[in-house]
Amino acid sequence: MNDSIKRKKIGDGVYFTAIIDPKFKSNRISVNLVLPLEEETAANRAIVPFVLRLRYKDCPDFTRLNEKLCDLYGAVVDGDVRKYGAYQIINLSVQSLDDRYSIAGEPLVQECANLACGMLFDPYLENGLFSEEDVRLERQNLIDTIESEFNDKREYAIGKCVSLMFGGSPLAVKKYGTREKAKQITAKSATDAYREILCRAAVEILFIGCGDPSAAEEVFSARFAETQRQPVTYDTSLPHASAKEVRTVREDMDIAQGKLVMGFRTGETTSPDQVNAMKMMVALYGGTPFSRLFQNVREKLSLCYYCAARYDKASGMMMVDSGVETGNEQKAQEEILHQLELVKQGAFDDSELESTILTINNALKSTVDTLSGLENWYLTQILSGSDESPLDNAGKVSRITKDEIQAAASQITLDTVFFLAAKKEGQNQ
Amino acid sequence: MKQEIRSERVQESYQKIDHPSGLTLLLYPMEGFSSAYAMLTTDYGSVDMAFRTDPQADFTRIPAGTAHFLEHKMFENEDGDAFAKYAATGASANAFTSFDKTSYLFGCADHFEESLRILLEFVTTPYFTQQTVSKEQGIIGQEIKMYDDNPDWRVLFNLLKAMYVKHPIAIDIAGTVESIAEITADSLYETYRAFYNLRNMVLTVAGSFSPDAVVRIADEMLRPAPQLQLERDFVQEPEQVAQKRIEQKFPVASPMFALGLKVCPADPKTNAANSIVNEIVNEVLAGDASPLYRRLYDSGLINATFDSETDCGKDFSAVIFSGESKDPDRVAREILQEIERIQKEGIDPAAFERGKKAVYGRYIRMLNRPDSIANAMVGAHFSGLGLYDLLEIAANATQEQAQQRLTEDYRTENASLSVISPLD
Repeated sequence: MNDSIKRKKIGDGVYFTAIIDPKFKSNRISVNLVLPLEEETAANRAIVPFVLRLRYKDCPDFTRLNEKLCDLYGAVVDGDVRKYGAYQIINLSVQSLDDRYSIAGEPLVQECANLACGMLFDPYLENGLFSEEDVRLERQNLIDTIESEFNDKREYAIGKCVSLMFGGSPLAVKKYGTREKAKQITAKSATDAYREILCRAAVEILFIGCGDPSAAEEVFSARFAETQRQPVTYDTSLPHASAKEVRTVREDMDIAQGKLVMGFRTGETTSPDQVNAMKMMVALYGGTPFSRLFQNVREKLSLCYYCAARYDKASGMMMVDSGVETGNEQKAQEEILHQLELVKQGAFDDSELESTILTINNALKSTVDTLSGLENWYLTQILSGSDESPLDNAGKVSRITKDEIQAAASQITLDTVFFLAAKKEGQNQ
Repeated sequence: MKQEIRSERVQESYQKIDHPSGLTLLLYPMEGFSSAYAMLTTDYGSVDMAFRTDPQADFTRIPAGTAHFLEHKMFENEDGDAFAKYAATGASANAFTSFDKTSYLFGCADHFEESLRILLEFVTTPYFTQQTVSKEQGIIGQEIKMYDDNPDWRVLFNLLKAMYVKHPIAIDIAGTVESIAEITADSLYETYRAFYNLRNMVLTVAGSFSPDAVVRIADEMLRPAPQLQLERDFVQEPEQVAQKRIEQKFPVASPMFALGLKVCPADPKTNAANSIVNEIVNEVLAGDASPLYRRLYDSGLINATFDSETDCGKDFSAVIFSGESKDPDRVAREILQEIERIQKEGIDPAAFERGKKAVYGRYIRMLNRPDSIANAMVGAHFSGLGLYDLLEIAANATQEQAQQRLTEDYRTENASLSVISPLD
């Protein structure tokens, strides 16, 4: 593990990880509250970071709070929800310049740590509950966000495919929950969800940047010490199935270009080596501009404008996502499967594997140059029970062999095909 | 000629080199970083639709979408495509065309020198045949359709169509299926020779790399370019907008809007400098800490997608507010009323100071990342500024400047509203 990374238990189920590098000019404090995804509770929990973001006890006015952030040189406070496999992550983060760059020498790091802590532990309450007004506003915003998935047709098609694949399991639950559940949120239900999160969530606090993390560590330690906690322990290794039969679903919409999404299951990947091999296989197959899918389905056959594969290790899923002219979807699908078959048979050059290794290594080594790259990497590592650095991972993927790639590809089974067809074009043909 | 450009404020520096080939090199090594990011950019974008290289000749008109088409075709050389070459270095490569520039870039942690050679080689070696041009017409036709399905893109380009009467900024960067059908291998060569002269280009590099190696490779690979005799035909764009409102029905869940204010352009440098001050004005007017933002947010008229931006080039400049809203017309009305109120009552000094700090902080944060530095150096360079000038303009902005910009640039009679509304 990298020397500049220190992970420490600071409370019951609460960990503080500091990743310090003097090359940065800012600091980021990211608080992640992790709980199992459940359809019943997802929306009520999802509204919490947005309500917390509006104001808190020491700064009980939204506009004053935003003024304060401007005064902190445009410090950014974000509340959002993430999803990792079957877990929902409530996130609250503050990012600001380091003290060195403030014009009048203001202590920005300390201020930001207090701010994050204040928002998390001392929300603005009226009679012990979130303000009705705040909840009404953020409920509507949450509903809008849930509905806006429909706006981006590519994301919509992907979301549809995931729902079809994992229907009934926590993996299918959307990170913001459903519109129906969001509509039922009240000040009471949201406040209850907040208290439950504070009590039960596994907590991962990340401090990333160039500053001194000790002030943040102290203030969070002190506050969590005062909090009654019964944290969940999360399971980092979920079983991943293989597909039984292929389900095909088509939907027509008034759009210009069809969107073809194919969801595959990766089967069990129990060891880190298997996960690395799967990652490399997906990259070789459809993750780079010289991959099988890009070179053949797009470049050679011009069947799609984009055609890419991605791997979600937490869900045990590989997804191929492409933009296809309606009428070409069958041909595109056949070619996508044909290319997978070739990878299974090992019908690819050594140079393809070498190039893929170089590309993934390059991406891994670049991860350490941005705050967001570091945050995403380490959070994912922690959630999957590892503490590997990007550099160590780069060393491991460099040793992946052709046999391992073929073995990974052989585990892949097609589960669901979802095609969002362009109605207009179909009618013109 | 080599210049060291230093900022006392951030205690960093970069090199500006006028290379004998005519290419400008802007090199920003960053201590402690593992990756480097390099961009080769030509001062040629989608709005450059007529040019001549002989002052006596007529202007040559080029079909809409040519700059973007050329960008796609540059990746193809006689000995294979550039992506395949980058595959052997592991660099992550890409390219993009905007209104006023075309950039070819890569990011890498290893094999920087090999990747730089690939970049310089393929961008300086045009290779077009009628056959490959025809094939590309099909691929770009698909890309145009992909953008047709993107409501964020549509709301913006519909807005520009409403704002601009003659200016080519109103045309989609990729052109249309019809316009790109006019492109031929010959027209690509002609356009390439005019705009891809090294004297019209800049190489920016930031992160972990050796500036000496860049100069050495440039010395080896680049021949002196002919004198640049490029003249663009700028359109005379009226001050007024073409139409006040434009609407498109689209399969979306809730309406989206973009409200644009057409700014009278000055010279490129002034446009860029004013645009930074306008970022501060936007904070005062509609930033998270503004009374307007609060009012709109509390009435549920805007949500977290609400944002403002400033955009400018050689001969255009605009301020844009956008987001989702159940009542876009009311949001637009409220923004315009607030502009008029502050124009009359004056900017609140405390709000100005806050806006300035926020914008200043944004520019400092930009210096955190190799990719954002390389990008910002290009933008500054083509508008005649240095990278640190951007920082200083933000840090030294005065309330009087902001008030003046608010008066001159935020003319509510020159506003257009673009709305994307859900299907019935």
